[in-house]
Amino acid sequence: MKYIPALQTGIRIILVVLLFLFGLSNIKQILTASMNIGDTGSKELDLWEADMQLVREALPINRGLVGYISEEDLEGAEFAYWDNETEFLLTQYALAPLILKKGLAAKWNVVVLRDQDIEQWLQANPGEYELINIKGRFNLLHDLSIP
Amino acid sequence: MTLLSFLTFIPSVILGSLSVNLIWTEKSLSSLPLKLSLGVGLGLGISSMLHFATLHIAPGKVNPILLQVILVIALSIVTYYKAGIPKFHNLRLPKLSWLQWGLLIAFIASVIVSILVFVNYVISRPQGALDAWSIWNRAARFIHRDPENWIATLSPDIALLRHADYPLLIPLNVAWGWDVVGNETLRIPMMQSLLFTLATIFLMFSALAFFRTVGQSSLASIILIAVSGVVSSGTYLIADVPVTYFIFASGLLMYLYTQRNEFSFLVLSGFMAGLAGWTKNEGLLFIAISPVALIISSPKNLKEAFIYYLSGLLLPLLVILYFKSIAPPNDLATNSLTDMLRQVMDPSRYGIILKSFLSTLQSREPILLFFYSLFMWRDFNKDHLRGIFVLVIMFSLQVLGYGFIYLITPYDLEWHLLTSQSRLFMQIVPLALFLCFVISADPETLFLERQKKIT
Repeated sequence: MKYIPALQTGIRIILVVLLFLFGLSNIKQILTASMNIGDTGSKELDLWEADMQLVREALPINRGLVGYISEEDLEGAEFAYWDNETEFLLTQYALAPLILKKGLAAKWNVVVLRDQDIEQWLQANPGEYELINIKGRFNLLHDLSIP
Repeated sequence: MTLLSFLTFIPSVILGSLSVNLIWTEKSLSSLPLKLSLGVGLGLGISSMLHFATLHIAPGKVNPILLQVILVIALSIVTYYKAGIPKFHNLRLPKLSWLQWGLLIAFIASVIVSILVFVNYVISRPQGALDAWSIWNRAARFIHRDPENWIATLSPDIALLRHADYPLLIPLNVAWGWDVVGNETLRIPMMQSLLFTLATIFLMFSALAFFRTVGQSSLASIILIAVSGVVSSGTYLIADVPVTYFIFASGLLMYLYTQRNEFSFLVLSGFMAGLAGWTKNEGLLFIAISPVALIISSPKNLKEAFIYYLSGLLLPLLVILYFKSIAPPNDLATNSLTDMLRQVMDPSRYGIILKSFLSTLQSREPILLFFYSLFMWRDFNKDHLRGIFVLVIMFSLQVLGYGFIYLITPYDLEWHLLTSQSRLFMQIVPLALFLCFVISADPETLFLERQKKIT
């Protein structure tokens, strides 16, 4: 019977050693994983931000609401939901402190559409607009009906 | 820019550490690392509230660093008049055994590896996770770019899932950090996140080293780095690690109160709980459940304990209440009362939540640590048991609270669990690990027992 406490202590020591080794092995795995990170989309994010900087500079306002028109606003258009959503969020991030709202929501609206899609949108949403191309598919739409 | 970003937060850390030292006047050398670890979070909390106040009084016109340095000087003077030039007892470094040196060196190596991991991630993904730039740094840009109109960041027109109602501790610190360095460098959010990540690790180390042993604290901290995900989550640059830190700090301070009966721990615990609520909405849940733990921690001096706890909680709580009065409603509140009741009455939702929670609890690490604590169980007196019960209650109620939030969520339940559960559980992992290592016998005692038996 006198061996039981000694056995218990021995088991406990083994447990401490095992836990210690388990911890170190996990930390090694974490380090290895951090050295093999795939594409994080960081460059795309920077590019978007640089393009949106041009939009920001072209906008005549620096406070208030700005609309956001994208493929989501085209009737029957097929688009990747999360790509579209991420672009919207990136635009909001880039244009802060302007508040971005989806759709034709204000006097000034950011339009992220190709030329043919813009035509389609204009046909579906007739009105008095001024369209300013900033770069590629990035445009500003000035709603002239809003004073 | 990296060094400048690091230096930017130094006055906040000193401010926090001096505040901790004023409240908790312990003078032993072993209390210093704990005071510093607590000072990091407390300082960052205070600096965010200071910036929040200046946005209301003189937006964009107050130099945040100058204000903090003035406060550091004022607190230093108060400390000097209160206690003279601090004389810490037993200033000699403690003599460590070979076992303690071995574990301590392994811990230091693990911290260095953690910093390397952090650097690897933030280099490959400097903007952090999607939530980092779309929620936290988006809010920081609103405040930094237009301080006079900072309130625009709370606009209900901001997309619902971008959470304009989220508390502002993190964005405010980023915003004033950008004000100080003069541009919107991502080094500022990175540095803030690194500070919270390292402070969480050192909180575990310094707390257990303070009232247990160096061996136990080293082992616990290694396991924290290894299994909690706190380092990789820190690189996301979101608010989960900061709220984890505050929940952990508040819990361990309440535990220390049960062991030492010093009300100063309750003041700090209350303040940390308040800062958890000022960091993220899950912190509000923690504020709501903490009074139950407080009742257990102090059954004989309940009235006094509540007064001290509330005195710490009051300032951040007032800031939160004011903030919530001007912020748009939370996305969870979009559910009508009828829908919430219908969801609460739906037994299938309980099953889905339970299954999902169990899938996390039944993974390798929790099982391993559960059995480790069981086998390593040591003898306790009444005070120790009360402290353990406080930690168990905090952990359990926070988990139940998370469960309730999922129960009433307006979103698809499975999607909501899939996208948030692991982050929520991470917020309470340090507290759970602390509990495991409070319960467990320390390595020193075991090896000493064995040596005694051999000799």
